[in-house]
Amino acid sequence: MSSTPGIKPIPASKPAPTPLPQAKPTELLHDQYSFLAANLHPVILLSGLALSFNRLVQDPVMTLARAAPVVIILQALYCFLCLPSTGQAPPQPKNKWKKQAKPSQDFGARAVPAFLSLLLTITLTIPALFLVLIFFGAPLTTHQAHTILLAAHLGLLATPQLFYVHGLDVRVWMQAASLQLPLDEVYGMSLGAVLGAWFGAVPIPLDWDREWQRWPVTVLVGVYVGACLGKVVGGYLVKGWRVKLN
Amino acid sequence: MADSAGARAPPQEPQDPKAENKRLAVQFKAQHALMVGFFTLIAIFHALGIYLFCSGFLLSRLVLDHRSECAIPPVELQNGFTSGNTEKGCWHPKSFDKAVVVIVDALRYDFTVPFNGNETGQVEQHFHNAFPVLHETSVREPQNAFLRPFIADPPTTTLQRLKGLTTGTLPTFIDAGSNFAGTAIDEDNLVEQLVHAGKKVVHLGDDTWHALFPGYFEPELTKPFDSFNVWDLHTVDNGVTEHLFPLLDKSMAGKWDVIFGHYLGVDHAGHRYGPDHPAMADKLKQMDDVFRDMIENIDDDTLLVVMGDHGMDIKGDHGGESDDEIEAALWMYSKKGLFGRSDKAFIQPPATAKDRPVGQIDLVPTLSLLLGLPVPFNNLGQPIEEAFIGNDGKGFANLAEVARLTAAQIRRYQGEYSSVRKLSDLATSPLIPLWSSAQEAWQRVQETKRPSVDQWKSAYHAFTAYQAENLRICRSLWARFDLVSMTMGITVLVGSLAVLALFSRGVMSDRGALTPLLLGWGLAGTVIGGTVGTTVGVVPAVSFTQVTAFGAALGGVLGMSMGFYPAREALRVPYPRTFWGGLSALTCVMLCIGFASNSFTIWEDEQLLFFLTSYGMLMLAASLGLEDTADRNTGAYNSISFIVATRLASVFRLCREEQMPFCRSTYYASATSSTSATWQLAIPFIVALTIPSAITYFYHRTKNYQASAVIWIGIALRVGLVFVALYWVLDAADDGDWYPSISKALLKTTRVSLAQVTMALSFAAGYATYIWASPLIAVIEEPAAPEAAPPSLVESPDPSGGIFTSFAPPPKPRSKLIILGYANTHGTRYFLLPGAWLLALLLVQKPVGQGTLALCMISILNVLEIIDANNLRRSALGPTVLALLGSYYFFKTGHQAVLSTIQWETAFIPLKTIQYPFSPLVVILNTFGPQILCAIAVPAIPLWKTRPKYPGLLGRVAGAVATHMLFYAAIAVATVVEAAWLRRHLMLYRIFMPRMLMGTTVLLVVEVISTFVAVMGVRWSVTSVADIFGWA
Repeated sequence: MSSTPGIKPIPASKPAPTPLPQAKPTELLHDQYSFLAANLHPVILLSGLALSFNRLVQDPVMTLARAAPVVIILQALYCFLCLPSTGQAPPQPKNKWKKQAKPSQDFGARAVPAFLSLLLTITLTIPALFLVLIFFGAPLTTHQAHTILLAAHLGLLATPQLFYVHGLDVRVWMQAASLQLPLDEVYGMSLGAVLGAWFGAVPIPLDWDREWQRWPVTVLVGVYVGACLGKVVGGYLVKGWRVKLN
Repeated sequence: MADSAGARAPPQEPQDPKAENKRLAVQFKAQHALMVGFFTLIAIFHALGIYLFCSGFLLSRLVLDHRSECAIPPVELQNGFTSGNTEKGCWHPKSFDKAVVVIVDALRYDFTVPFNGNETGQVEQHFHNAFPVLHETSVREPQNAFLRPFIADPPTTTLQRLKGLTTGTLPTFIDAGSNFAGTAIDEDNLVEQLVHAGKKVVHLGDDTWHALFPGYFEPELTKPFDSFNVWDLHTVDNGVTEHLFPLLDKSMAGKWDVIFGHYLGVDHAGHRYGPDHPAMADKLKQMDDVFRDMIENIDDDTLLVVMGDHGMDIKGDHGGESDDEIEAALWMYSKKGLFGRSDKAFIQPPATAKDRPVGQIDLVPTLSLLLGLPVPFNNLGQPIEEAFIGNDGKGFANLAEVARLTAAQIRRYQGEYSSVRKLSDLATSPLIPLWSSAQEAWQRVQETKRPSVDQWKSAYHAFTAYQAENLRICRSLWARFDLVSMTMGITVLVGSLAVLALFSRGVMSDRGALTPLLLGWGLAGTVIGGTVGTTVGVVPAVSFTQVTAFGAALGGVLGMSMGFYPAREALRVPYPRTFWGGLSALTCVMLCIGFASNSFTIWEDEQLLFFLTSYGMLMLAASLGLEDTADRNTGAYNSISFIVATRLASVFRLCREEQMPFCRSTYYASATSSTSATWQLAIPFIVALTIPSAITYFYHRTKNYQASAVIWIGIALRVGLVFVALYWVLDAADDGDWYPSISKALLKTTRVSLAQVTMALSFAAGYATYIWASPLIAVIEEPAAPEAAPPSLVESPDPSGGIFTSFAPPPKPRSKLIILGYANTHGTRYFLLPGAWLLALLLVQKPVGQGTLALCMISILNVLEIIDANNLRRSALGPTVLALLGSYYFFKTGHQAVLSTIQWETAFIPLKTIQYPFSPLVVILNTFGPQILCAIAVPAIPLWKTRPKYPGLLGRVAGAVATHMLFYAAIAVATVVEAAWLRRHLMLYRIFMPRMLMGTTVLLVVEVISTFVAVMGVRWSVTSVADIFGWA
């Protein structure tokens, strides 16, 4: 939806004339583990989805509930291993490919925000996303467990990394909500998850009578595929671009 | 999108401000009149295109009013039989006085024949071998019973099938000449002939019969049952059985002559479970028992007929034209031993429906002649062999006589139809030799002293050949698509869509200045094209009206395109260039593509909710990104209100049959009723309390709640809405007999008067207020203050206007005048118009529909505020969202894209009897209320919070209105093209054609309303503002 017409690259040097500090695209931590983990991350997510697809179609509630803790750990590890936590000085480009002095030293400085990010995701984002799903027409009187679990997975894929990188700065979150953050791996993954969910709803009404058309399988697949695509596209192809809404 | 009006060079200092002002006023009025003309011309092009397409697509059968009469046989009777005696039989000696005709809905032929899996290698399904009685009796007692496949003419819906089974003619989707309610049969039919002959007719079961034959059945014995609840397998069936068997008792003799029973359980089991399900087996076994009992109980002189009106597909649904859907079963039984076979091999009923089928239309002449009635005038069927051939299988004399009578009646009908419809001889010429050879064969038999069986047989076959050829001709005349006419229609529609797209999204200068050219060229093109068409139309091979219409429309569209040429510098290719433009185009295109799929068409309501929520979320996102805090809050709160209102409205739905079982109707008291629940009567009162306050909230925000706004919104609208609420209470009181002491007539009079007063309030008082109101502003004097002038005074006052503000740099501060409501003078002044229409539109909605339509109104105001906060007045966003809102709330006011959800009864809200043209207009107001409301609100998008003196405002309004129309036009073109493309699709009659009819009707309604209410109305609001502030 937000593909060609609305997106324009922002010149890196010239700050836009707003009073808010212009957020810069997030850079990954520059050690080999981070690079490896960041690129392994979507592969693990997608292969996990592929492996559990049949079970997902058969029994969405159980499968999603069982998968949730795994996704929580995966996301926590991703934040912990690959991303600069909020307040941390952005990694210097010259350090690229050099091993950090001792990662265990700032273990606490990274583990605590990672934990908090997931805590915030579970307590804040997931209920909010549940509401959003209902607004988009998710069933109100039935299938609540399905919808809650879908909201959980959407929230887990879309938000922990944002909390981890941006903290709770209201202005940044305003920018995130109004699609004004520059695209990068983190924001791309979030937008990708949301867009994927949107397109995932398209095949539901078709009268093909397929098992996988059950709520919420298509949307969930959309979330996972969208998140991984968004992560790759945002991290490599259109890094630094900005959506131009108005 | 970007018309350069705002960037136009500032007008030079006029010599005489008053004269200049007057010049501008005249210019506006002239441009406005031409604008109305332009939109009218566009609407005419669309109407012509739709006419051309539909005349090729909906080939209709003209319904003839003629009735066959007992005393007037179609041909001279032989063998000394005199016509006109109902005791003996009208045209032919009758065989039965009494009949029990039972329809087992959706009784497919293979449900009734034995299945042996070993022979065919197929797997036995649940429906197999569950209903053997019909087959058994035909084999065991061939003189008493016969079973044959019974082929339905599509569409295989019960209503259309009952028409075919009682009139003997072919169904068309729209029968020209149908009356207003569209259901009662108004051509000659079996039931009417029975009643006319003095027979007492009883009906039990499916209430569709009562819609078709109102008032024909014996009221004490007849028991109709609701046919809508497909989930209930037993109520109707048990009810029919319970009431039917007592009638067969000896004591009831003389109370009835013909019983029509209609069982629905098999059909419902099919819809709910499909044919291969234990529930279907149970249902068929139940039917088996019922008919075994009936055979035992029926007396010796009564004819028993059992038949399916259609079959069902593999999923148990029907409506289309697949083999499984058209192959029903027919079984006739009597204890008189009258039936026979022309060949011994025919004693065994056909193994499949492909062998020896009879048409469903053949039932009408067969029953008519067996019961001694005249064959209904429009009948096209032939008598069924077994019923007339006699138990020895040699009665070809009798068979030839009934075939001759039927064929002669068909010939009489053919002659009448050709002369009324002015059919060319070419169409019916193959019939002439067939008729004369049949006559010759008959003549030969008459001249022979002792005619042989073969001679009779050849006469019989000759008349049958005539009937078959006539049927073939009628089929080709009525069921064929005229591709030439359809292509002409599509060409015109696509051409006018292109013109509309260029006008709405491709013009960068002031559209107001461009319209005169377009209108002039368009008119010239129409006249020239029409003339050429008329000339070509003289050629007899082509249809004069069609060619003229095509010439006029195509010429007009081409002419209008020429009109763009002088302004080519200010044009650009109308493809989206912004995020919102791209989104609007994407949604429209996605919807258009979706209408090619039956699933997306069926679930359109949910799709629209999805799209609208997406828009709401994105508008919320955009608003959150605004820098100005006030704008951000306005945008965000209104977006949230928009999202919540949309989802709240989605709770109320009326499901279409195809949405089952994934949908629960909540629009009425229950899924099976079409009256509102008692608690729903509270909704109009809530609307009356809240809606005026909600509108005033938006007026208060810019201090525009002044003068006429107080009178209209604060008082008149409130009072009117209370009347509306009272109306629906009275209506419910009447329905539910709450006050038996008060006469129904009094209740009705009171409530109709209440409705009429409300209508008058809405249109007379509402329009009067709208036309003569001053701008909704107030001027207050503020005492001298040391502060600088407030920002609202930056605009220099017009010397000719009535407001003066001291502005010269004074030595000491002087008191100043403040104009309250300056910021939104145009918007609030115009919005009185949707407010006036709102009252009438709410009145004609059911209580729940009033709640949802009120939510629609609030959503419209939300959109206006969001668009202002984000400054998107010129984007396609506003008109597109309003079009989506209109389409969405169509579904939320208890409608679906099927003809059956039209709420005909609303015609009686402001009127006691049907009055043309008001009754159809009320139904249109009910059906398309949301689209009408949104169309009227469109000009408010460019007008909302626009400063009073704004150049090129009319062009902006035209752009918004044209964009709004463009959306509906795109949908109409898409549905038309897709209906043409899918014309052989199974679901054509159930899904694609109704959606196409809706798409085209909505387009025309929206264009008429946009032109004659919205654009026309802009004149008064802009003039009244300009009278105060001066012209720009």
